[in-house]
Amino acid sequence: MEELTLDLLLKNIQSTEDPVRANARDSAGAVGAKAVGPLARIAAGGELEIARAAQRAIQNIVYHAGRPGAEDEAKAVAVELLKLLGDSQPLQLRRDVLWMTWQIAGEEAVAPVAALLDHAELGEDARMALERLPGDQATAALQAALAKAGDAAKPALAHSLRVRGVETPGVPDLRLKPTKKTSVQPVGR
Amino acid sequence: MSKRTSGVPRRTFLKTAGSALAAGAVAAPYVIPSGVLAAAGRTGANERLTFGHIGVGGMGGYHLGDMVSRLRRGEVNIAAVCDIDDKRLANASRTAGPQADVYRDYRDVLDRKDIDAVVIATPDHWHAVQTVHAAERGKHVYVEKPACCTVEEGKAMITAANKAQIAVQVGSQGRSQPEAYLAHRYLVNGNLGKVSQVDCFHYPSPVGGFAPDSDPQAELDWDAWLGPLRWRPYNRGYCHGTFRWMMESGGGQIRDRGAHVMSCAMWWMNADGTGPVEVEATGEAPQRGLWDSAVKISVKYTFKNPDWVLTWNQPGEPAPPEERTGQEPGGRITRPGYGAVYRGDQGTFTHWGGDGGTWAERKAREWQPGAGAKEVYQSPGHKEDWFEGIKTGKKTIMNVEAGADVAILTVLGNLSFLLGRKLRWDHSKREIVGDEQARRLMGRPQRYPYTL
Repeated sequence: MEELTLDLLLKNIQSTEDPVRANARDSAGAVGAKAVGPLARIAAGGELEIARAAQRAIQNIVYHAGRPGAEDEAKAVAVELLKLLGDSQPLQLRRDVLWMTWQIAGEEAVAPVAALLDHAELGEDARMALERLPGDQATAALQAALAKAGDAAKPALAHSLRVRGVETPGVPDLRLKPTKKTSVQPVGR
Repeated sequence: MSKRTSGVPRRTFLKTAGSALAAGAVAAPYVIPSGVLAAAGRTGANERLTFGHIGVGGMGGYHLGDMVSRLRRGEVNIAAVCDIDDKRLANASRTAGPQADVYRDYRDVLDRKDIDAVVIATPDHWHAVQTVHAAERGKHVYVEKPACCTVEEGKAMITAANKAQIAVQVGSQGRSQPEAYLAHRYLVNGNLGKVSQVDCFHYPSPVGGFAPDSDPQAELDWDAWLGPLRWRPYNRGYCHGTFRWMMESGGGQIRDRGAHVMSCAMWWMNADGTGPVEVEATGEAPQRGLWDSAVKISVKYTFKNPDWVLTWNQPGEPAPPEERTGQEPGGRITRPGYGAVYRGDQGTFTHWGGDGGTWAERKAREWQPGAGAKEVYQSPGHKEDWFEGIKTGKKTIMNVEAGADVAILTVLGNLSFLLGRKLRWDHSKREIVGDEQARRLMGRPQRYPYTL
């Protein structure tokens, strides 16, 4: 079987033949960190099925690099993911990258992820990622965000801290508070 | 909110309802909380339970219809129906009748002091959060299978249910079928000798979801539908029913039907409360489309002390269904495409289905227990078993631990497939060991406030 090089991966992931594209997607893990950026460009701009395959190939790289004993690979992949969080990338791609970040990254991800906490559309994704990043720096970043947050943002940040074992007295817990109303009326009244 | 009961303090409401009772003039919409006549903390054995239904399409529609038939027989009360799809909610209101209030937000249902228990039949990614929240409000829960989408969710369900001392029944109703009892009895009496392997078979998951993202239809509250999941745009290939084929929610046939077939295996192998030590999966993801659950997947679960192996084979080798007359306890085999083969050192046994249709091979149906044979629990029906759990505190047949553990089997199978590696599992802690990334993936963050 032909070795999957970066060039071959990028060629095959853009194939219009489903089996070729799927095979590239499923084999992408072995190509590793150097494929993350190029695949992200395809995910951001390709035809729908090609973009999906590229996005899932990045996810497969994250899974592969996260295996036990491959810590250097995991770090390299995390570094490449963090490069994709900037404003120049499409919103959904950044959202996907944030989701992968907590699966593989360490404390190097805390600052770039925390920088997105105030983002109008990515703030919640950033909070979720920060909630699951390992280490004290992520906890400290959540505490700092809570200290300066407005009332609306506090409950979610407090929740993330609770998940990490940090109590936040005085912040309301909104989990069980109803907010949604229907216009449907009971039939027969 | 109900104009009659909702928002009314419990004491005031009970007083009102009690006065009406005394006057012999209880208007139909009034629901009498079962606790009124019961001993403190437990519903009386002969009292009507009052239910709220959360999620009323698909299986939720089935459950509501089933409960309405009980309502008509005077056995239960239905006080509320809830859905985030207004069309489904309006249909449910017609089915449930005018006494049932309608809600979009399940937390309104949980706030109702007159409701004893809730039936949760929402998409899979909602099951754990809603069960935990219901437990925090002291409601008994019937929740559709699979119970949870992550290990963390399953553990949270167990903790919350045990703390609140509620009765949970997970909707793996195969355990309560008449032929499940016959199969169980046949197996525990050693008719196969020592059973060392159970091979489940199921046809593949489908491929689909080819449409691009779009705006949701007006009747759907997409934010509420997504709930705990990370935000994504609406796609008509990912909503009612089709959530089953998305890994983050339904997770494919291994989870949807695995929660049935493997539930029977754990029950019949006397393996509730145990778990595998290793899980290893291989499979094939769809080549195109939004749906990302494995089309084909094979999983090997290795159990120790006692030693046995459970396998999930999608598609595997389906056992040909046996000929039937239709007069058997389970009737004709209508879904022969899934089931399991039990392999012992003195023979094999096959069953088909494993859910609302569970069909045992003839030799189990015809086996007559002799003197000294072991008896096994015969469920009076999956809901009846739950009602008994609510009223007496007895453990339900598919209780929260059993339901979570079976769902966790399916979760671990999918996780091993996604990661492309074997997982080691410590069931005493319900934790993956020796794999930091897999340990992170035992849970996942959730959108606030739809969180555990």
